[in-house]
Amino acid sequence: MRKQLSLISRALGGVVLTATVSTAALAGETGQGTLYGDMQAVTQDMLSRAASDGNNFLHTNANYDQTRYYPARQINTSNVKSLRPAWIFQTEIVETMETTPIVVNGIMYVTTAFNHVYALNARTGEQIWHHKHKMGPITTYCCGPNNRGVAVHGDRVYMGTLDAKLVALDAKTGKQVWEQQIADPELGYSETMAPTAVDGKILIGTNGGEYGIRGFVKAYDAESGKLLWTFHTTPEDSAGVWAEKDATGRDMHRDIKAEKAALKALGDPYKTLGGGVWQNPAVDLETNRVYFVVGNPSPDLDGSLRPGDNLYTDSLVAVDLDTGEYICHFQYIAHDVWDLDAVSPPILTDVVNAKGETVPGLLHGGKTGHVYVHDRRDCSLVRFSEAMVPQEDMWTLPTAEGARMLPGANGGVEWSPMAINPALKLTYAINLHQPMTYHVESSAYPAGKLWLGGAFKVIPSEAQWGNITAVDYNTGKIRWKVKTEQPMIGGVLATAGGLLFTGEGNGYFKAYDAETGSVLWKFQAGAGVNAPPASYTVEGKQYIVVAAGGNTQLNYKRGNNILAFTLAD
Amino acid sequence: MASRPAISRLCGTVSRGGPAIFRSGRAVGLLLAGFLLLGQGGLAAAAELEERIALCTTCHGAAGLPEDSQVPIIWGQHFYYTYVQLKDYKAGRRQHEIMSEIVADLSKEEMQGLAQHFSEQAWPATGFRSSDRDVAQGETAASAGQCVQCHLGGYEGNSRVPRLAGQKASYLERTMLDFKQKTRKNAPAKSSLLASYDAAAIVAMARYLAGM
Repeated sequence: MRKQLSLISRALGGVVLTATVSTAALAGETGQGTLYGDMQAVTQDMLSRAASDGNNFLHTNANYDQTRYYPARQINTSNVKSLRPAWIFQTEIVETMETTPIVVNGIMYVTTAFNHVYALNARTGEQIWHHKHKMGPITTYCCGPNNRGVAVHGDRVYMGTLDAKLVALDAKTGKQVWEQQIADPELGYSETMAPTAVDGKILIGTNGGEYGIRGFVKAYDAESGKLLWTFHTTPEDSAGVWAEKDATGRDMHRDIKAEKAALKALGDPYKTLGGGVWQNPAVDLETNRVYFVVGNPSPDLDGSLRPGDNLYTDSLVAVDLDTGEYICHFQYIAHDVWDLDAVSPPILTDVVNAKGETVPGLLHGGKTGHVYVHDRRDCSLVRFSEAMVPQEDMWTLPTAEGARMLPGANGGVEWSPMAINPALKLTYAINLHQPMTYHVESSAYPAGKLWLGGAFKVIPSEAQWGNITAVDYNTGKIRWKVKTEQPMIGGVLATAGGLLFTGEGNGYFKAYDAETGSVLWKFQAGAGVNAPPASYTVEGKQYIVVAAGGNTQLNYKRGNNILAFTLAD
Repeated sequence: MASRPAISRLCGTVSRGGPAIFRSGRAVGLLLAGFLLLGQGGLAAAAELEERIALCTTCHGAAGLPEDSQVPIIWGQHFYYTYVQLKDYKAGRRQHEIMSEIVADLSKEEMQGLAQHFSEQAWPATGFRSSDRDVAQGETAASAGQCVQCHLGGYEGNSRVPRLAGQKASYLERTMLDFKQKTRKNAPAKSSLLASYDAAAIVAMARYLAGM
């Protein structure tokens, strides 16, 4: 008999921790079953209060605001030098890892490339179950067979798959409960993002901006898997306002006259216009709104086939959580021909506007190298930050021979989620500096095949590097910047302990002082650390956890490790 | 099966298959098992597929290693890639004197059956060794094109993206040149990318990939 006992309730650094512990767990039960609590107990209340939960890590980006700010402070600036590996778990798949571990009452869920899911004992790293998705023979995806993790809700975990399915698994056993085909993989659709669970719904977007898809965000019923609503990211009238300048006021050198003639001749391109959404949305529970950023138009480099602003590509979009109806948007780059799309997940936090008023805000780290600060009531832009990476010759149009422009097509900030420290009013972004040439060559829609409308080429003779940049989101000024030897991709975790964690392609996983950028601790993981870190607390011990599996996109050394760290006794 | 004069010109006499096919052909075995349930029509289809496989091996090698330098290894190639190529030959999106003729009367099921069969075979070792110079130059060129983003680490491909590792150097070189010169047109993104490479870089990449 497993009598549930609520044993632990104590303050840890100002955060009230509560954990449900089973008598069986205290007796040292291993293998199948509950270890530290009831795995079925992921309630909406838990999900809604995640920002103040110092035990669990319930969302890919920590909470619905996606702050990636973890409230526990047992590990802090004064003791982080004593951080040591607690355990290392090795998965079956040695390939790119972008998973954020999700932790529920001492049980951790991680995913790998090609859609394996593991449930682990978060205290010991022991495997509880392992689920291998039965992959269909047809998958179409760019930039690696990635998966960024699961969503948890009730007694289930949810995952999107490379063959464009949404699957629901039993949290206790890993057995599949249901699956839904989200879209046709033969036409370029695939799933790599973690879903978002909210209010009995599972929200998920799609990849495919390199394949001429029509992007969307869909909501499914968490219990039955029934489709509840679909928001298409490319409306039937995608022409927009024929914007000639980007969000920062720079001329994008569009030939509006030629585009208008093309629109008349070709019609609206919305059916193959791309606009993937492949990172988690933020959810504003107060206003019942969902905020997400939309990826690049298809084909990436050739604008001749897709006249107009290409709404809502390269945009911030808000929709109603219950219906999926459009509320507002802001487009960063109209008619993008550089693949500088909006990817890094948006963060909700209060910001100070130009009048000095504190308003409900939203932050997005752009591939352009700017952090964009919005008033989320109407999606309007409040300010943009200083450039975090070199920008040269913006906006030089792609040419047949290849035109150099900085930043390269990977950013700036790629998909890597930012984090904030709300006390310091800083947001932390990791950036790439990767000089490229942009080549354009028109070709007809190839029905599911790679459709770039040209090519991107890295310039081998030019140095590449990365940085971690702290930006004051109330002024747009850079507070500090730390250069790294390689372009950065993966993600950031900030903690109430005054720390910042992020990894590098060379295998180093580092802790920084959130206020100054000083490196306070580092660990060599043996493979690229290119996944967003997470944190949790079990039996009074705070852990930091991260995947080290390298990265396909930047070809960083592959591995298969989940590494959990805690303070030395 | 209709006579195949063009095939004979390139690869010699067409084999009519035999037990070896069944020893290595799990797809055929499975198809046969399935077709047995369907009666005479199914059996005939399985026999027809066996004959098609035998035809393929004439050029692509009975043990997966083609003798002709311009014929690719298809043993162990991904199912969906091979199926798409067959579809493209049939639709005229990819053209080749021999292949276009062979696929002309193939059904969707036959194309899938062939792709499935060859995807289940072991990739043969060619014994090709890249020089240090090939590796250095080929790796630099492939990095500039971000080739692993699609072909994945180790260049083993997946689903619709072909395995390049261990493919024949002469075929890789010819294919990249065909994309560059747009004589092969069924992957426009490849043509755009390879247009930016000179012949020396293409040779280096071919030799680098062939030695993996």
